[in-house]
Amino acid sequence: MEKVRIGFYALTSCYGCQLQFAMMDEIVQLLDKANIECWFMVDRDSDEEREVDIAFIEGSVSTQEEIELIKKIREKAKIVIAVGSCAIHGGVQSWGKDKELEELWKTVYGDGRVKFEPKMAEPVENYIKVDYKLYGCPPEKKDFLYALGTFLIGSWPEDIDYPVCVECRLNGNPCILIEKGEPCLGPLTTAGCDARCPSFNIACIGCRGAVGYGVAWFDSLAREFKKKGLTKEEILERMRIFNAHNPKLEEMINKVFEEGE
Amino acid sequence: MRYVKLPKENIYDFLERLKDYGKLYAPVKISEKFYDFREVDDVKKIEFHYNRTIMPPKKFFFLPREKMFEFSISKAEYKETIENVEPFVVFGLHACDIFALKIMDTIYLDEFPDKYYKVRREKGIIIGISCMPDEYCFCNLRETDFADDGFDLFLHELPDGYLVRVGTPIGHRIVDKSIKLFEEVTSQDICDFREFEKKREESFKYHEDWGSLRYLLELEMEHPMWDEQSELCLACGNCNTTCPTCRCYEVQDIPNLDGDTGVRIRRWDSCQLRSHGLVAGNHNFRPTKRSRFMNRYLCKNSYNEKLGLSYCVGCGRCTYFCPAGISFVKNLRTIMGLEDKSCPPEISEEIPKRGFAYGGAKQ
Repeated sequence: MEKVRIGFYALTSCYGCQLQFAMMDEIVQLLDKANIECWFMVDRDSDEEREVDIAFIEGSVSTQEEIELIKKIREKAKIVIAVGSCAIHGGVQSWGKDKELEELWKTVYGDGRVKFEPKMAEPVENYIKVDYKLYGCPPEKKDFLYALGTFLIGSWPEDIDYPVCVECRLNGNPCILIEKGEPCLGPLTTAGCDARCPSFNIACIGCRGAVGYGVAWFDSLAREFKKKGLTKEEILERMRIFNAHNPKLEEMINKVFEEGE
Repeated sequence: MRYVKLPKENIYDFLERLKDYGKLYAPVKISEKFYDFREVDDVKKIEFHYNRTIMPPKKFFFLPREKMFEFSISKAEYKETIENVEPFVVFGLHACDIFALKIMDTIYLDEFPDKYYKVRREKGIIIGISCMPDEYCFCNLRETDFADDGFDLFLHELPDGYLVRVGTPIGHRIVDKSIKLFEEVTSQDICDFREFEKKREESFKYHEDWGSLRYLLELEMEHPMWDEQSELCLACGNCNTTCPTCRCYEVQDIPNLDGDTGVRIRRWDSCQLRSHGLVAGNHNFRPTKRSRFMNRYLCKNSYNEKLGLSYCVGCGRCTYFCPAGISFVKNLRTIMGLEDKSCPPEISEEIPKRGFAYGGAKQ
């Protein structure tokens, strides 16, 4: 069997996604199945110019140079996988999406200068076609193994299109949203984390991003939060942490606050 | 049927002895308000007056997540991974949950038995307990408020103990082995039992005829309730994952990194999720939240011919555990014209153009 050529590329991020995967014991099993063409964290002999079968991209697109890089990756890769919340949803760095770039820059770097051209953080999908997504901040090892394993047998992995609540119930947890009235984002958020935070009695903050396919009901959940006394700003602030680029978010929340009592 | 009395002072001895039959599971408090069936070490922690558990007892037989088999692509083989299940005892099921298991049996034991369910069902000892309904209960309207069978023992609360109905040979054995814990039923006990049942019957919130429900649901597919209520729905699936009779599961193959072997797993599914109606070619039987919302109402109120019951046993979980506060009962009563506020004056004039299977193509 011919070896699968793999590349792992990083845009603006904390590098936590690739660290998560680089530290997997199972990665050893890959050695006779795959050639790592480009993955600077694990292989010194990496080259962004090589062609690959599967390209993993982490990080948000935050510079002009990164736009060029991902366009190049798209051309050289058969399958492009966006990895983690930054690549998929723009990451927490998109939280301040409504602010001016200048203001954000000043807050973080003051008068510091860099050799690249900064821009507002965006999801990879805003620039190139993404074939598959590994959600999370960081993503789950099991999702990575599942996706790779499925590609290796020549099949296509399933996307996760259901919310955290499903896994929370399967685990037998009490429901934080009902019982404590805390603004748990479980109903909106893509499952796969095995409801990690709610299992520790902590309301979901939505780090895996809202479920796709138009089935993240920001409006219905905002209505519940509103009943519990949260203001529109508080609701937006919380839901935006990992969903700033979701086109439905504001529209749906505005609708709820226009409904009146 | 055999009847014995378990005096109150013997209940904990009795529970302790149940552990001789295997692991003991019983309702305990898992948080401020919620209960669940958990393995019990200290029998004093058992809650005798719980309202409902967040996970239905089907979880012991139809596991929330389960490995089904291991496969090898190169060998074109698969090996079922059916566990060697040890006997276990589930104490404290309410009548509705016992009926729910009977409904599950009609799906998973009759005709094409599900091996994974069967092996657990055969090893599980079921001990029921009487209950007082709260405002969410409507098992009386579902005719699932009193279990005639489906249990090994059933405990009915009396002021000074329990009247115990013995339902199976295993139930007899449990009683016989601890016969010193039991007494004969007295005429006072019978009076107390009758009194309890009377009080219980009166405690239900609704006393009405739901005979028209099944056909009104089918006729009222364009009722405004569907739009209004599905708009509130979070599509989180809680109503399904807490339901004692929801039986759909989702299957997934997880290949290993060797490009050859792997496992097939399954987990509880929910018809409120997009992928439930998704089929090849990216077609979806239920493409909208409204259509998925309706599906549960129609499924739960359809008729189980073997038992002559609806698939809903009236446990109240789907309402109690709905984060959006949607009331299943209220919505059904709206359809039947029993809720004043939004009940239709009569059956809507227009005959629906879409039948059961196609209900709710509307956006």
